[in-house]
Amino acid sequence: MILYQGQLLENSEQERLIHSIERDLYQPVSSGVLLPTEIVINACDQLAGKIVKGDFGDILKPYLGLFPLTSAQFADMVGLFTKESLEYKCRIELCDEEMTLHGKVMRKRYPLGVLLHIAAGNVDVLPAYSVIEGLLAGNINILKLPMGDSGLSVRLLYELVRIEPLLKDYLYVFDVPSTETETLKKLAALCNGVVVWGGDEAVRAAKNMVDIDTKIIAWGHKLSFAYAESDASDQQLAELAQSICDTNQLLCSSCQGIFVDTDSQEDVLHFAKRFFEIFKQINQKSYPIDYGMKAKNAINLYNEKLEQHSTGTRILQADGISVLVCSDSSLQLSYLYRSVWIKPLAYDRLHTLKIWKNHLQTAAILTTDREKWQKIGSILARIGVVRITSGGNMSRTLCGEAHDGTYALREYSRIVEMEII
Amino acid sequence: MMKKMKYTKKLFKHKNPYDLEGTDALFVQAMRENAVFQYQNCADYRRILDEFDFCPEKIGSMEDLVRLPFLPTLYFKHHHLQSVPPGKQLIKATSSGTRGSMSKIGFDFHTLSLGLDMVIRVGKYHRLWSATPVNYIIFGYQPTAGNQTAVSKTAYGFTFFAPALSRTFALEMTDSGYKLSWDKVLRAFERCSVSRFPLRTMGFPSYTYFLLKEMESRGLAYSMPKGSMVAVGGGWKQFYSQQVDKHEFYRLVKKILDIDEENVIEFFGAVEHPILYTDCSHHHFHVPIYSRVIIRNPDDFSPLENGKPGLVNLLTPMIQGAPLLSIMTDDLGILHSEKCPCQTASPWLEIVGRVGISDIITCAAGAEKYLKE
Repeated sequence: MILYQGQLLENSEQERLIHSIERDLYQPVSSGVLLPTEIVINACDQLAGKIVKGDFGDILKPYLGLFPLTSAQFADMVGLFTKESLEYKCRIELCDEEMTLHGKVMRKRYPLGVLLHIAAGNVDVLPAYSVIEGLLAGNINILKLPMGDSGLSVRLLYELVRIEPLLKDYLYVFDVPSTETETLKKLAALCNGVVVWGGDEAVRAAKNMVDIDTKIIAWGHKLSFAYAESDASDQQLAELAQSICDTNQLLCSSCQGIFVDTDSQEDVLHFAKRFFEIFKQINQKSYPIDYGMKAKNAINLYNEKLEQHSTGTRILQADGISVLVCSDSSLQLSYLYRSVWIKPLAYDRLHTLKIWKNHLQTAAILTTDREKWQKIGSILARIGVVRITSGGNMSRTLCGEAHDGTYALREYSRIVEMEII
Repeated sequence: MMKKMKYTKKLFKHKNPYDLEGTDALFVQAMRENAVFQYQNCADYRRILDEFDFCPEKIGSMEDLVRLPFLPTLYFKHHHLQSVPPGKQLIKATSSGTRGSMSKIGFDFHTLSLGLDMVIRVGKYHRLWSATPVNYIIFGYQPTAGNQTAVSKTAYGFTFFAPALSRTFALEMTDSGYKLSWDKVLRAFERCSVSRFPLRTMGFPSYTYFLLKEMESRGLAYSMPKGSMVAVGGGWKQFYSQQVDKHEFYRLVKKILDIDEENVIEFFGAVEHPILYTDCSHHHFHVPIYSRVIIRNPDDFSPLENGKPGLVNLLTPMIQGAPLLSIMTDDLGILHSEKCPCQTASPWLEIVGRVGISDIITCAAGAEKYLKE
């Protein structure tokens, strides 16, 4: 299904509509009226209310089955779309909406214009979320559905227009396969910005597709890690282990591995053994790992063993979880699903992580010394890390938080300065 | 060196290619001689067995083969192991590379002659040999110097079971890579349908399926001469990932080519385990005597009893050029020991999936690609 000016239509209509979309797309622009943020917020609030009531249970349930969310976590997630949360978000992200400079120039935030959202595959709620952010900043939004979309995004956005018919001119959802680059190029050419979600490949593809005059807002994939001092408490390690088990290391913010502040391989091993014992206990209390992933990791770890003679990596494993004790200090993806690497990285070499630039996201600091926490934190912040947390909070979501070091609503906006006459 | 491989030779000369029980002892002896050979000729393999404290000379039972350290196919993707000098490797084959890096395996004369013995016997058992000339249509590519995939070689090899009147390859090398040559294929089908001689097709299950599907949507249907055959195969991964419903496939073959289900034959094998698995009249892949299958528990690699799904570990003494005697695939499978109506006594292997998960929500950098590998 596709969504065009508030109407749910069959995919067969798509080609014809895209062909003539230019005629309809700029209607809100020609009127000169801006979309009031409150209207979007109110519609989202009502939609969130319907979700809580269970109105979309039939399509939400299979999605929720993929992640073992508790009902409290689910409520938290939906809570991000309530009036209170969205107002808070807008207050933070759009705090300098209007301002007069030197009494001569009026500065005002405007939407970027038209946004094309290229949503990531497999993440069902994200496409709708991306569009809602676009709406909050006042943009006209075209959503390209990810391959294999469950239909949830179209349904949620359709519902949003039903709640608030004014939004109909601001929402278009198409089901164009990524392989149809000509159609995507045509759509991108009509837009001021292209919002792309996905891995390096997806971002690269979008960059190649979009002309130089179109802004790209890339929400790429990231890597996160923990940095530990020897004085880290068992409690801190347990909280980190819990967060690893909860997310299976699949999120941008999930811990892939732990750097230990030392140059000594012995210290690393000592720390690894300590963490491994705690990790095992936490794992036992967590939901079991998927069989296929456990099997994949079993082979990977066996292979690691065969390579041990040249890598020197020590492997601690039990119950399908593992800790790899390495001697290098590079940031890398783990084997995922509760397999953590532990590497030496002395404090005076912490800055070397900066070569991972834009791939850096969250770093947890594990120490009981507040002063050290601050010192490490300020270095991490300088080298490119954008979220610095405690072990247990690496993947928690807070309303009003920036996204990968920036505010989405600002990325979807531009500042216009108009002389006062 | 060759003389020492006497048990392996004997195994490959055994008359009934599915007499597992009758060849167990021989298989163990053949594995021992291969293990000893690999240990002496491949430094990397020797190191691995030493690290596992495993002495190849002491292999004396099936239990010892369970203990014999296996090598994951993953390992071959990063290491080019060889146990015979490169000059003696007459054929080099690479895996189809559907999952990133490829394995590269060299086959020497000894291995190839064993392969021939195997193909002769398995082909005979499944009545693939024929003196009647046939027209071949290959849903794949013509092997070239630049294309060493085992798939293209297997497909080409298939055209020797019966004398070839003609060979048509559906994929043609062009300046911009391989392209499907529709006109050529349709002309070949046209020609074959009016020929006095049977048609045999060979290709990936997925290629064959989608070609037939396309022909169906174009409203094309032919009645192929009696004795025609559709063969599919080439890589378990392709086979599994496409999830082509077999009954739908047989229906399509009947509808488009008028070839009965019993004349649809399927093969599978892997570069790292080039044993010819051929499906029986009930479409089961019985384990041939040249191979043994151990289904292992991912928790500790202990062998699982028949009927339970686990990691698929394949064993064969066939290859001399590289230590491929016990390889761990990244497939999940079940070994069935129920009686098969086709009367073949050996158990059959069913591939039920592959390790890892495809449908995954992740935004960790690099994870998407890693999970697909």
